Amino acid sequence: MIQTGLIQSAHNDLVTDVAYDFYGLRLATCSIDQRIKVWQVDESNGNWNVEDDWKAHDATVSKLSWAHPEFGTILASASFDRTVKIWEQTSFASAADSQPNGAGAGSPQAASGGSSRWVERAVLVDARGTVRAVEFAPHHFGLKLATVSSDNHVRIYECLEQSSLATWQLSEEVDVSTLPSVSLSSSYSVAFATPTQTSATLEGASATLVAQALQQSQNPTTQGRPGLGNREADGGWCISWCKERYWGEIIAAGCGISGAIKIIQLSPSRRPTTLLTLDPSPSPVGLPAEAATSLASDGDTPTPFAITSVAWAPSCGRSYHLIATGGRDGHVRIWRVKPAEEELDVEGEGGDLKWSASVVADFDHHKSAVGRVEWNITGTVLSSAGNDGRVRLWKATIGNVWRPAGSIGVEQSEDTQDADVNMSENAIAE
Amino acid sequence: MNSTDHHLNLFPPLIQAGHTKQFIQSGKTLLSAQSPLNQSYAVFPSARNDVRSIKSSGVEEQPIFFASTETSPSSERRLFIGDTSIIFAALQNLTNTAQSRGQEWLHSQETHNVIRKLTLDYVNFTRECWIHTSQTSVQSQSSPQFSGDHYRSLYTCLALFAVLYVPEYGYEDAPVGDDLMEWLNVHFIEPSTEEGDHLSGLDRPWEDETFWPYLVRVTLRGLSKAATFFLATLSSHPSDNLRRLAQQLSPLLQSQPHLQSFEAERDFAYASHRWKDKVKALRIELDSVSESDRHDGIENWWDRLSDIVGILEGRSEVIRRVCEDLGADWREISVSWGVFADARLRRQDLPEVVSQILDDMPQDPTNLEDMVHAALFSGDPAKALSHAAQLDPWLAAHMADLMQALSLIERDANEDSGLNIRDFYVLGYAQYLHADPALWRITVAYMFSCGETGVRSADEVLMHVPLKLRFVGSITHGQGEQSNAENIKSGDLAGVVKDINATCYEYQREEVRRTICRIAAQTFVQEKEYGLALSYSSSAEDWTGLGRVVDRVLQEYITAGPEQFTRYVSGIAPSLQALRMQSGAQGVFIHRLMFAVRYAEFHQRLGNRDLQDAAWDLVSMFQDGLAPKSWWAVLLCDSQQLLQHDAALLFPYASACILLQRLEEVIARTDQGSGDEYLRVLISKFGSGGTTEALHALQCVRLALAKYFSRCTMIGTGGKQILERKFIAAV
Repeated sequence: MIQTGLIQSAHNDLVTDVAYDFYGLRLATCSIDQRIKVWQVDESNGNWNVEDDWKAHDATVSKLSWAHPEFGTILASASFDRTVKIWEQTSFASAADSQPNGAGAGSPQAASGGSSRWVERAVLVDARGTVRAVEFAPHHFGLKLATVSSDNHVRIYECLEQSSLATWQLSEEVDVSTLPSVSLSSSYSVAFATPTQTSATLEGASATLVAQALQQSQNPTTQGRPGLGNREADGGWCISWCKERYWGEIIAAGCGISGAIKIIQLSPSRRPTTLLTLDPSPSPVGLPAEAATSLASDGDTPTPFAITSVAWAPSCGRSYHLIATGGRDGHVRIWRVKPAEEELDVEGEGGDLKWSASVVADFDHHKSAVGRVEWNITGTVLSSAGNDGRVRLWKATIGNVWRPAGSIGVEQSEDTQDADVNMSENAIAE
Repeated sequence: MNSTDHHLNLFPPLIQAGHTKQFIQSGKTLLSAQSPLNQSYAVFPSARNDVRSIKSSGVEEQPIFFASTETSPSSERRLFIGDTSIIFAALQNLTNTAQSRGQEWLHSQETHNVIRKLTLDYVNFTRECWIHTSQTSVQSQSSPQFSGDHYRSLYTCLALFAVLYVPEYGYEDAPVGDDLMEWLNVHFIEPSTEEGDHLSGLDRPWEDETFWPYLVRVTLRGLSKAATFFLATLSSHPSDNLRRLAQQLSPLLQSQPHLQSFEAERDFAYASHRWKDKVKALRIELDSVSESDRHDGIENWWDRLSDIVGILEGRSEVIRRVCEDLGADWREISVSWGVFADARLRRQDLPEVVSQILDDMPQDPTNLEDMVHAALFSGDPAKALSHAAQLDPWLAAHMADLMQALSLIERDANEDSGLNIRDFYVLGYAQYLHADPALWRITVAYMFSCGETGVRSADEVLMHVPLKLRFVGSITHGQGEQSNAENIKSGDLAGVVKDINATCYEYQREEVRRTICRIAAQTFVQEKEYGLALSYSSSAEDWTGLGRVVDRVLQEYITAGPEQFTRYVSGIAPSLQALRMQSGAQGVFIHRLMFAVRYAEFHQRLGNRDLQDAAWDLVSMFQDGLAPKSWWAVLLCDSQQLLQHDAALLFPYASACILLQRLEEVIARTDQGSGDEYLRVLISKFGSGGTTEALHALQCVRLALAKYFSRCTMIGTGGKQILERKFIAAV
């Protein structure tokens, strides 16, 4: 493991998200300073240079997502100002023809010498709370994106006019907290029913709802930093699309402090339904007993916690899906999710197609809240970042057991001689 | 070198040693993002999402760190990776053939010989690389990425693998001792040449303290020439006994039978037996030396000579003790066992012997090379692979590949992961290669050999290979790439896109190829290279995408005006011909493309003042149903100047009627509220306040038409047509 580069100062305030483009040659960054910057790597020396820099929102920009390049150079930004904005990079000439909304305002583009500009194409204003995450759908589903916000809603937007990117239709709006859990969905969903493992969680779910309400009443919102917008203790946290085309549009969403992730199927002909709930409590499935210990379990009622990050691995030909979660309980979990198989000998079950899941890895190495989990492009390396100030990597062994595979920190090395890393500092001309 | 369990602290540090708590309490945390390009990560301090207020960070810097789990291969390493991938491909060919020819063929002599040859190729390549790296690192001060010693360890492992597991066809069941001794002598040279040089320079070498250990060691290693040379120096030793015994020992050392010299193993066994008898005779003579003559004042020579004879006799306790005294390791004991203690030791019996030796003298767990050797000696190929993977993923992948071809490892997939042992290590190596994006061709070649999971992983890698089509505004690129880009733009399918296309064809990854073509088309649209965009869209058979390209071209008319528009269309017109020939092409989009081309022709004629033809074009676009409804209003506005042309009446009466018809439809439908459908393009042409302007413009067209009809009546051109019209209406 080696350090390969450094941007000394990327923004004027804490950076909230960094997103690589499809090829990893550019980087979009956003910050509490309400700006977005786009950087390009100089492949000859590995330095990152600012290409564009503009004020994007009226509050903290929380998350960025690049669209698949077959749709153009498009970026979506989510913000605590309750909006999601769609940006397109246009070549300099055509930017002169169209109105560079926002992008022009006071940004030092001329100074950075960029010949391209980002133009605001659309503003999605449906959220009634801070928007915490945005993610474009896999490209085979068209130009679509999902957002999740502190109002508990996952919203799916579809671009109606790809050439202008101006019209986005809100095609689905789902309250994740009230979306019937799998066991309830049978009333209108014939095709999908509760996997037996998770049906027991219903009791627990309603219990946590009460706990959630209690916690909210006990914790009056303290004075936040101006401009940050709402920083609710719960609400929707995270989303991740299923990358596979075969199963249709499916998204994993984490919401509230139930500690569970809902796997939601979206279909044009039917209301969104929960296929499966990934809930590590009260009885984790397929987990060795000693690994199942919760950080703060007190008797029978586990302390409610939020899953703040979820990542659906590219399946790359595997017969199952891998979904990683990271949460306030300090655990990184990897779920192995088995899609419903069409069984030939359908009897008694009424032909229900069942998705099932089991925890195949559960790590508490971070010993503190896990802020992000992410997979590599082949779904073989998981990275997790936690409040212990470490980024940890995880890989499967030949026996398919997940194991730590290194870590990265920002702590001063005890052995200072370690610092002879092959590193090129990146001077930034602001 | 491998990344397992490594911790990296980034520089400059954000947290003082042991002060992580303060960092977190200040409302900060650490986040990261994985690069799709290679095995690297962007790591940055961020705001905790569970804290309501963050202490203002003020003037602090907000760094983003970049770290990679692997070092990008240096040129020497790349060369090694590239060269050995050719051998890998050759073996891949062989196993693919085996799939069609059946497993028996894979175990035939012919195939075995090929596998053996390829194994030896790997051995030789690692050897070359070791020599090369050792030399260059001496010449230049800059240390190469992997030391010569690293390649030396790969070389010893592969060579041992070849000796133990890939013998010549038919020799699987032959004694292995001599081969192993050769391996040991090549890779772990003892005693050193310097020691020999030093001793040979002495008049009475036996007085030197290194003399006897040296002599014992060369005997143990079967180096009979060196042994006889120094035994000869004893001819001037004061002891008669020693002089005599040394003289007898020399021919014995030289005459030790070696398997290679015999046609049949039986002959070898017989010769060995007879030779052992001679050694026994020497022992008897040695024992008869009186105690008083066993010491020469410097050393007890008798004990030393007894050790040498003990080795030749194959006494295990002597071999072990001598090895321990000499500081030799388990390898040397194991190998000498196969030469002296049990000259007929076979490969399959080796693990048992080795396990006993390892019990007393275990391998060094901190030395991966040692661990690989021990696993290979112990007949545990799977274990050897797991150590090899830590030593260098290259070694594990290539050894696993050979092992599967030789049926040494389980071919069935792990139930959970869906991968078998070989695929696991080959994919591990491919992942290591992915650290260097320039190696994508080799990366996918390895991935494509690993079943469904490998194929789909390769798809991902292929799709993420940067196409390098965009050069506007990009930072300095190499000269080669620049001209490459020129080639692409001049219409040649060249460079990376061509390579990826070829790779997709080779492995039949049509889905991937189409996606890449769609991306290329989109990039060219952004670059306003509409002709190329069209050909990529059609190559991807992406007809909606093709339609969007045409829309963008039409958009150019609105934003940039007719001249620019005509220029862009001249770029796409040739594609129209090609597309018409293509049977799969879908009509509606081709239609729109045809409209764009015809509309551009119209503007060209207009520009050239070829008004008569322009008028004909305009009407025929309506007549042929080419013009989309949203463009009708634009076309009608274009007709205005032609209608008002004073010199001649450019439209036949019927044509003018068509114009009127369309105009009426546009106006009527707009009144009914479908204005958006009919006026969209015209409105956007006028820009802000477009609707009123557009309606006004249409009124002007109506006036022009009215005037035109009145001119027709006056001049009387319309008579015939009017009759016809009435006739048609009657019908």
